[in-house]
Amino acid sequence: MIRFKSRATVAASVFAIVALAASTSVVAVSSANAALPSWCGPKKITMGFTDGFGGNSWRLVTTAAVREEVKLCPNVTKLYYADGQGKTDKAISDIKGMVAKGVKALVVFPDAGEAMLPALRSAYKAGVVTVPYRVAPGGTAGKDYNLFVGSDFVLAGKLWGEWIKKNLPNGGNILRISGPAGNSQGADESKGLEQVLGTTGKYKFIGAAPFEVTGWDPGKTQEVLTAAIAKYPNIDVITSDFGPSMVSALQAAVTSGWKVPAIATSDGNVLGCFYQDNQATQANFKMMTISTQNDHSRLATQWAVALATGGKTPKDKAYPSTLFEDSVSGKPSAVQCRKDLPGDVYLSAKMSGDAQAKLKTN
Amino acid sequence: MSTAPVRELKRSARLQISRGMKTVLGATILLYIASVFLAPTSVSKVAQMGMLPFAACLAIIGLGQTLVIQQGGIDLSVAGAVSLTVVIVTWGPDRHDNRLLPAVAAAFGAAIITGLINGFLVTKTKLNSIVATLGVNALLYGVMMALSGGSPRRTTDRLSHITNDKILGLPHSLYYGVFFTIIVTILLKRTVIGRRFEAVGANPRAAYATGLKVVRYQFGAYVSAQILYCIAGIVLGGVISQPTAYQGDDYVLPSVAIVVLGGTSLLGGRGFPAASALAALFIKQLDMFVLSLGVPYGVRTIVISVSLMLGIALYAVNWSSKSLPFKKRDRELQPI
Repeated sequence: MIRFKSRATVAASVFAIVALAASTSVVAVSSANAALPSWCGPKKITMGFTDGFGGNSWRLVTTAAVREEVKLCPNVTKLYYADGQGKTDKAISDIKGMVAKGVKALVVFPDAGEAMLPALRSAYKAGVVTVPYRVAPGGTAGKDYNLFVGSDFVLAGKLWGEWIKKNLPNGGNILRISGPAGNSQGADESKGLEQVLGTTGKYKFIGAAPFEVTGWDPGKTQEVLTAAIAKYPNIDVITSDFGPSMVSALQAAVTSGWKVPAIATSDGNVLGCFYQDNQATQANFKMMTISTQNDHSRLATQWAVALATGGKTPKDKAYPSTLFEDSVSGKPSAVQCRKDLPGDVYLSAKMSGDAQAKLKTN
Repeated sequence: MSTAPVRELKRSARLQISRGMKTVLGATILLYIASVFLAPTSVSKVAQMGMLPFAACLAIIGLGQTLVIQQGGIDLSVAGAVSLTVVIVTWGPDRHDNRLLPAVAAAFGAAIITGLINGFLVTKTKLNSIVATLGVNALLYGVMMALSGGSPRRTTDRLSHITNDKILGLPHSLYYGVFFTIIVTILLKRTVIGRRFEAVGANPRAAYATGLKVVRYQFGAYVSAQILYCIAGIVLGGVISQPTAYQGDDYVLPSVAIVVLGGTSLLGGRGFPAASALAALFIKQLDMFVLSLGVPYGVRTIVISVSLMLGIALYAVNWSSKSLPFKKRDRELQPI
């Protein structure tokens, strides 16, 4: 605490010399110190955050969450960000670039999965606290990186499965959609679904196994989904781990006279509004969402900062999958739509929808 | 005596359907027949309505690429150009219809500037077009990131109506594809500028010797190409209600593939915009066909690549010259 007070004094004198609202700044600094989170240790560090792909609104909000979190800990003096643009080679060189910059902590979204392992290992061996999150990179914690902050995607699949079981008790055909081919998130979700529904014998998984590949790209999703809709006249449920990317495809199909089935997915304002616009005319359209987990990056950031600055590490090593909306039960929430906000905000995130709408640049 | 054959030759040249067009038309008809029998759902209304807007976008992009390839170049800035346009027309208006027009104007402005930069690098500094356009592509991505932070916004309602509303049951986007194909074909094949443009592409030195302003036509190719990418980007931005920042990435290779499938030589010269546009339909229907077959993702990718290679080989390899190697030279002596 003495240390902090002296810092505040130094800051105060600097600000006094510059004669720029000295008193308010000091108050701001000391109040920030007072609310210092436990994961923020005393060592001063610079930090890096590399994203395998940063080109959609989900990533924008997720990256902003990292920035918000880092701001809580003034001992992280600088945060560098790099966007792999969906190219594995760029994502690898981004990590190397961060190490070369001398960052002490590195949070990585390893979209390419195991292909990122050598780069993660080299950062870890160079003494950088390396925390991959969300997509499993293979390897072992403590040997290839410090730890992997995952999320229980099997649980996400189970949550969808339970909802399907409850709302379509007589069984049905289920179409599963996920991101790039072989991504661990989609594979785990399918596992969860199969664990809950596979034993009943009433449900049939249609389309490619374990899921239809879309790369989470709305254009691809539209092609894949329209092909599936044409191929299977009886789809009773669609599951997807990026709900908003389905909207343009659903919209196109609805205008061709297609009936929207039940949907179990992740949330997004555009999807919520699509539901509200269509629920009156679409009798079978029930919808349930799990949180899209923009705040997963916060947990990874807390781990990286705690390990690098000597703070207290968080309790959880994985980010939980939680229910967000349910159009049938209305619990924990009815389907939400904020027409005054852009379609690409995520109302399940900690950051408010209004704040997300203001995000423009990284 | 001497005038009659000349007139005859002109008339026949006008009515001539290019070899590329025949190949693509045949392949597309065969593909649709195969679709009907092997994957009938791929020709259903829902599937076609989902596929056609993307085919139209690819066709418009292909028209641009055709123009550049006619000048012996290749334009790899497709990805950046389309992505930047998508970002400008969605992020710029940020759902406000009244800001759509300025955003579209800005997108065209950016396209013209990009075309001029490409043209300058290729014609004035004599940089290889692959290198120049690849560099410009990175530049475009930089601008796009600086503008939007890599996140486009949702399409405005007006843009969505402009691209997705239907006339006679077909989406507007399809009409745009057909319209621009006709426009480019007429400009290229029926106007003096177009004929000169092809002459410059076929042999810049000869064209220069005949007094044509070669550099102007080459500049024109890059600028027109960018304008066409921009149009495609606007349509794409409307078709996809919530696009990503890298929406153009999927169009680089297909854009070159359809030009080659359409029979335009990578060495420059004659161009076949209508064949390129039809090849776009072929490629997208091929996607739909393979998707509807329900084969695994890996197999799907292999089937598409092999079909493309076969398609290109059909046209690009001069099979008859295999048996008569010295006949090869004849190809270069064909009339322009």
